[in-house]
Amino acid sequence: MAETGRLRQTAVASPAINPVTLLRIAIILAVLAAWEFLAHSGWLYRDVVPSLLSIGRAMAALLTDRNYYFNLGVTAAEIGAALAIGGSAGLVVGLVLGANRFLARAFEPYLYYLGPTPKIIFFPIMIMWFGVGPESKVALGTLSCFFPVALNVAAGMRQIDKVLVRVGRSFRASTWQMVQKIYLPAMRHPIINGVRLGFGFALIGTLLAETKLSNKGIGFLIIQTYSIFDMPAMYAMLIVLFVLAIGANALIGKLGGLDSIKRN
Amino acid sequence: MPPDPVARNAILVAEDIIVRFDTPEGPLTAVDNVSFEVRQGEFLSVIGPSGCGKSTLFNVIGGLLSSHEGIVSVAGETISGPHKSIGMVFQEESTFPWRTVTDNVAFPLELVGMSKAKRVERARHFISLVGLDGFENRYPGELSGGMRQRVSLARTLACEPSILLMDEPFAALDEQTRLLLGDKVLQIQQQLKQTTLLITHNITEAVQMSDRILVMTYRPGKLKRVVEINLPRPRTSEIVGSETFGRYVAQIWNDLREEANRGMRDEEQNALRQEEQAL
Repeated sequence: MAETGRLRQTAVASPAINPVTLLRIAIILAVLAAWEFLAHSGWLYRDVVPSLLSIGRAMAALLTDRNYYFNLGVTAAEIGAALAIGGSAGLVVGLVLGANRFLARAFEPYLYYLGPTPKIIFFPIMIMWFGVGPESKVALGTLSCFFPVALNVAAGMRQIDKVLVRVGRSFRASTWQMVQKIYLPAMRHPIINGVRLGFGFALIGTLLAETKLSNKGIGFLIIQTYSIFDMPAMYAMLIVLFVLAIGANALIGKLGGLDSIKRN
Repeated sequence: MPPDPVARNAILVAEDIIVRFDTPEGPLTAVDNVSFEVRQGEFLSVIGPSGCGKSTLFNVIGGLLSSHEGIVSVAGETISGPHKSIGMVFQEESTFPWRTVTDNVAFPLELVGMSKAKRVERARHFISLVGLDGFENRYPGELSGGMRQRVSLARTLACEPSILLMDEPFAALDEQTRLLLGDKVLQIQQQLKQTTLLITHNITEAVQMSDRILVMTYRPGKLKRVVEINLPRPRTSEIVGSETFGRYVAQIWNDLREEANRGMRDEEQNALRQEEQAL
């Protein structure tokens, strides 16, 4: 046969240190140096830019503090619950809107109008309904992550290669088989992207709510350090949070099988 | 000809098929009163210029288009929707990129609830039939276009359809691959005595493979002529060079040229009209 298998591109063996990596390291070092310089310059009000050493010390204290882990757990649980509720609701709504043109035309404008609205403006209502505790944070996180997931899934469903749907129909697949064996696998990219976006929004919504009015959670701790002007502790918390968010995002990508997706 | 289709050995019968579409320029008759039948074991091709409604006909017979007049019946049973006796192969890239070759071919068997061991075994058999041994665990992204089209063919054959219905399955391939793949299809068809209905715009392909060819007119798509191809079987692509082959091609091209010309003029006028509207 006059056909050859298309070879997958293989990664070219990289030299010891890639110039891009080098530049990235240089940027980080430059930022740290500038930071340290500012901290010691005395130009700014005390501790607005604390020295790296004091931040490091604050971080060490933070990471050995049991109270911190308790609050971290509270926030993680809130975000997890928000992602679970908002994400699955978004998935279902997205699938329905993606499959049904009539419903999509009726309801999608609402999603587009409500989607970009900062959900924090609904926080007073959430407090009224669910109280000051974690419940109102979960509610706001849910609200934040629902929209991007729903819109992504609906758009993803419409981008499915139509011929694959026709293949399924020609083999007389049932509706459930179509969803399970064609729509969902064909939509794995937009679904994973939707969940990642949803995670980001759940994180923002939950933390934002915690910083507004709460009695536990990371957001609460951060705003507490701010109100007593313990800047090193605040920066330490922000850095830890930042690292955790990146890690969680990478984890979602891994679980969603981004590696296996590269095949096509 | 005996009046009873069963007596004539017809397995698929299309009677008075009419398909109309609403377009911005008004109603359009894509397929106009087309009747034909496919006999048991026969290789029948429908050929026509682009715009003759042959892909519409493919969808009607495959049961994917229900808004038509006329009746399609398989072994005397009128179809409403995709029928289990008809296996379709599409023109477009239609393998599932997230499934291996084996899982692609086993897909229809999975739908009917066949056990894993059994469907893998059956998939292997058809993968081997289309000549893809050794590629069982590859993903479509790792294969060439011609190989992917063979995966689609194996997937459809795996349901062992009474009638194989193909819509320009080689249209996206280069000429050499097309000829060789045509050989493969011929060989399989002769081996399985597979009743086949091929939709195509390629004259060489149609003459090379068919027992009969239905030539369609440009819009509205009607049957213009039925050509019986009396070339010996088994055939391969070598037949393409023979004199009789050339005569058949010339005869069909004679019929088609007029239609293709009409199609081209029509498209030019459409383009002009759209240009005027745009101004």
